[in-house]
Amino acid sequence: MKGTWLHWVKGIVTVRARGGELESFVNLALQGGLTLWSIRRTSEGQLEFETTVGHFFRLRPYLKRTSCRVHVIGRNGMPFWLLKVRRRVFFGVGLVLFFVGLYLLSSLVWNVQVSGNIRISDEQILKAAKAEGIHQLQWSFKLQDPAVLSKKIAARLPDASWVGVEKKGTSIVINIVESTKPNEGPLLSPRHLIATDDAVITDIQADTGRPVVKRNMRVKKGDILISGSLGDEANIQTVIAKGKVRGIVWHEYNVVSPLIEKVKVYTGLSTTRWHAVAGGRALQVSGFGKAPYTQYEVVQREEQLSWHGLKLPFGRMKETVLEVRVDERKLTEEEAVTKGIQQAKADLMTKAGADAVIVAEKLLHEKTDNGKVYLKVLLEVEQSIVTEMPIVSTQGE
Amino acid sequence: MRRMNRRLQKWTANLLELPQDVVYDLPRVTMIGDRQLYIENHRGVLHFSSDRLRLALSKGELEVTGEDLVIRTIWTEEVFIEGVIKHIEVR
Repeated sequence: MKGTWLHWVKGIVTVRARGGELESFVNLALQGGLTLWSIRRTSEGQLEFETTVGHFFRLRPYLKRTSCRVHVIGRNGMPFWLLKVRRRVFFGVGLVLFFVGLYLLSSLVWNVQVSGNIRISDEQILKAAKAEGIHQLQWSFKLQDPAVLSKKIAARLPDASWVGVEKKGTSIVINIVESTKPNEGPLLSPRHLIATDDAVITDIQADTGRPVVKRNMRVKKGDILISGSLGDEANIQTVIAKGKVRGIVWHEYNVVSPLIEKVKVYTGLSTTRWHAVAGGRALQVSGFGKAPYTQYEVVQREEQLSWHGLKLPFGRMKETVLEVRVDERKLTEEEAVTKGIQQAKADLMTKAGADAVIVAEKLLHEKTDNGKVYLKVLLEVEQSIVTEMPIVSTQGE
Repeated sequence: MRRMNRRLQKWTANLLELPQDVVYDLPRVTMIGDRQLYIENHRGVLHFSSDRLRLALSKGELEVTGEDLVIRTIWTEEVFIEGVIKHIEVR
């Protein structure tokens, strides 16, 4: 035990003792509860040892009893060190100030970082953070717990679904997770929904707006079906009318259907032309000369080289030239009529939309003349009959 | 009566296999090579110089001779000596 740090704090004194009964002095001092260490003989009748400052002053009675004399040859430890420091006050003050300054400067917030935001601007986040006390040159011990701070900042940012505040030394990192928003629909101006045709209503569903008509009501083209203006005359509000209205509409068709049908037939004869293809350009390789047929069709088939799923710009093209003959077929009157009606229906479906349903059909008039059948058909169709009409504000600007 | 007591003591010590130093108040000496010496159960320093150390025991005394002997630490019942130790004698 060469003097522990505790001894060092108390102060270590190296003592030289002379004369008298040194052994019994050591024995007595130990019995008295004093701590002595590193006891060594330097010469006959002379002893050196170390003890703490407190115990040094308690040596006196034992010295008297054994008639020894002591004098101090070395001082060590904190009390003596402090004495030395007292002589250099400004050095000591500077030392203390250095540590105080270091502590104070390291407890400032030097840097606020924001990460993870895309739509929300940094300024917006920093403003919210500042309102909660996070800004540059803020004392970090003034800040609340990061968990509390992140909750409060999240409350200030409605577009953020999660906010994390992390303290890393002298900088604060604010992590933002933005909430995903559904795509906003296109902007629409206030409108009514009106009828496209004269019709009898079969179904009306208004999502927004005020339904004006009811089922089985007769409407004329241009009548308002779902109104976009709500309220009475005094208090009016215009909205974007939305909804579905279906009705039965009558369509009259004049169809001309020929009694002779032209049909295209392949004769079975064909020739082949080969082409080599490189980078979008084809070079004919075989099958030169004009096609030997009066009427023909050409069918192309291209094959591209590929290597490991990677398409190369090389390939070949096969052209098959097929001879065609046009035959004429005579139709009966009945066949011509059904064909004409079919034509009318196909035309109607493209006009009325895919969800249209043909409820009834009626042949009004039929006349055969010059190898053609003239038809007049009435089709009863259930279809969507809405179209938009913007509301023009009648009130003064 | 006293003799009986001592015999009883000896008998229990044998029975329980207690170390002798605990039972008879004998010194326990631990020596590390020739440089360190640790003595427990002494009864004070009789003589100390750089080549000779005499310690009182409960019965008799212990003499250590060597060179540059230093009492590194000392308590009332233990002493820790450093130096070149040449000879230990129990009297």
